[in-house]
Amino acid sequence: MKRQLFALVDWRRLVLVAAALTAPLLLLPLVADAYALHVLTISLYYVILAASWNLLAGVTGQFSLAHQAFAAIGGYGSGLLVRHLGAPLWASMPFGVALAALLGFALGRIVLKMRAIYLAIATWAFAETIHILLTAAYRFTRGELGLTVPALYRSAGPAAYYYTFLVLALVSVLAMYLVVRSPMGFFMCAIKDDELRAQSFGVDTVRVKTAVFTLTSAFAGLAGAFYAHYTLVLSPQMADFSEMAKLIIMVVVGGLGSFAGPLITAAPIQILTTYLEKYGEWDMVIYAVLVIALMRSYPGGLAALAGELRGRLAPSRPRHAAPKHPLPDPPP
Amino acid sequence: MFSSELLAQTLIAGVMIGVIYALMALGITFIYSIVKMINWAMGEFYMIGSFVQYALVVYLLGPDLWWVAAPLSAATVFLLGMVIEPILIKPMFTQGIERRDDYATVVTIALLLLLRNLATALGGPYQRNPGSDLPTVMIGPLPESGARFAAFLCTLLALALFYLLLKRTWLGLALRAAAQSRIGVETAGIDILRLDQVAFGIGVALAAIAGALLAPVFFVFPTNGVVTTVKGFEIIVIGGLGSIPGALVAGILLGVVESLGTAFISSPYQNAYGFLLVLLILLIRPSGLFGERVRQA
Repeated sequence: MKRQLFALVDWRRLVLVAAALTAPLLLLPLVADAYALHVLTISLYYVILAASWNLLAGVTGQFSLAHQAFAAIGGYGSGLLVRHLGAPLWASMPFGVALAALLGFALGRIVLKMRAIYLAIATWAFAETIHILLTAAYRFTRGELGLTVPALYRSAGPAAYYYTFLVLALVSVLAMYLVVRSPMGFFMCAIKDDELRAQSFGVDTVRVKTAVFTLTSAFAGLAGAFYAHYTLVLSPQMADFSEMAKLIIMVVVGGLGSFAGPLITAAPIQILTTYLEKYGEWDMVIYAVLVIALMRSYPGGLAALAGELRGRLAPSRPRHAAPKHPLPDPPP
Repeated sequence: MFSSELLAQTLIAGVMIGVIYALMALGITFIYSIVKMINWAMGEFYMIGSFVQYALVVYLLGPDLWWVAAPLSAATVFLLGMVIEPILIKPMFTQGIERRDDYATVVTIALLLLLRNLATALGGPYQRNPGSDLPTVMIGPLPESGARFAAFLCTLLALALFYLLLKRTWLGLALRAAAQSRIGVETAGIDILRLDQVAFGIGVALAAIAGALLAPVFFVFPTNGVVTTVKGFEIIVIGGLGSIPGALVAGILLGVVESLGTAFISSPYQNAYGFLLVLLILLIRPSGLFGERVRQA
């Protein structure tokens, strides 16, 4: 059983793709200035968040709206432990991750039996509660004033943080890839397609769903903890709904449920947003229109678009253009 | 600290604001019961309603004619909803989209971002106040600002009209039938997609009424719909999705719990009490006080 666990992973291809993608990223600090590196570092944080939320919403079909809250829990969990108990970072950061995983497990248990709409509302309510508590308990969290936390490295330039986040993102994405390619990943897809059917085929849906909630929350917490000790000031804004909306944009543009899509689009969207900040809110307007247009024409996002283009360029490969379950049009 | 007078004041204030919150929740739940989707952009329609009210009062009618401006704002947003629905929501039923809930969530959150950021980009983040000349009213021992009291009375009026529409008109009958069974309505030869459009328009118009009436109380700015939407969704969870009496009862309950908590426990946590109530309800009765039984598949 153990040996079969990753039987479906093509290791050679995986290593090749990872190396080909990472090599240019490793060389970036040679050409980029300090501010550009900072923007890149932040965008890697969003890569982890987008990829892990995609695992939950896109692959497993659990459309949670609380992912940004788990990043905040990871960050604040670590930051508060340092502030109030003077804990060292090697203890506080795992604590933040563990706290995010624990609350993710709890939330996963609460929403276990809920249909999609209730699940979205319940997770949203959870996230808003975290946001409000972080703001209102200002004696403990310093609220909107911002919680100052110590830095990850005592004295290090932006390149060190950039490499830290790069390794973190790489390891997280690799771990997520292995999960998707393991039997667990197939159970997750089965739950998304038809939960009742998966159950009837003997998939332990309760365990898979709670495991996915716990795992993805832990990834968000991990990203949040590193983010906290990189930006040095935490604000409840981290748990704001607009952060979640940003994640949704990143994942939907890339392709909800496609593994590679969100990985490729998350960073460029964050980078564009940062550099277009001086033009006001127009970038968000454009993203919103893009998302609506994509949902209407290519619900699979850019990944589906790319797949179709590839199919057109290489017509020898079979094309999967037809919908899986063609529905008859309702009578006029 | 504790006195019966304070208690009475708190209760009255809670009921008054609760009824207005309920209007918002009613819009959400009404759209859900017909179109079977959650409109996350509800607060943005509230915001548009308040902006239209502001424009009408400041540039056209003057503060004395706010009661003319409010229905006009609602009508404007009703038409806007009628225009938006075929573009965003109708494909859900005509294009054979597999995961309708996810589609609706993504599209309405995109709409939320679109409208909110468009408002900021066009009008800036400033707070505007249309002003109100209404004198302060004494309700028993409680002095209440005239604008707030007027908003309360007009909300009651709007609720009454909404009730009459549902119970006394042909359209209301069709809408209630659609809430029971979409297929049944189609079998009776009614264009369900047209009904969806009207229901969406009415739902967002309810949010716009709240926005227009509360414009002098909570002011007019691009994100002014956030808090009211939050309350609206809390009420939905407490009262039960798809239940109109649930929305009303839960709205008043939420208003009272929040005022009591603010007055007697601690005021910075005002917004947290509602959520604790919500999490409690989710734990013990996930379908809400009056909600439909949650059924799988």
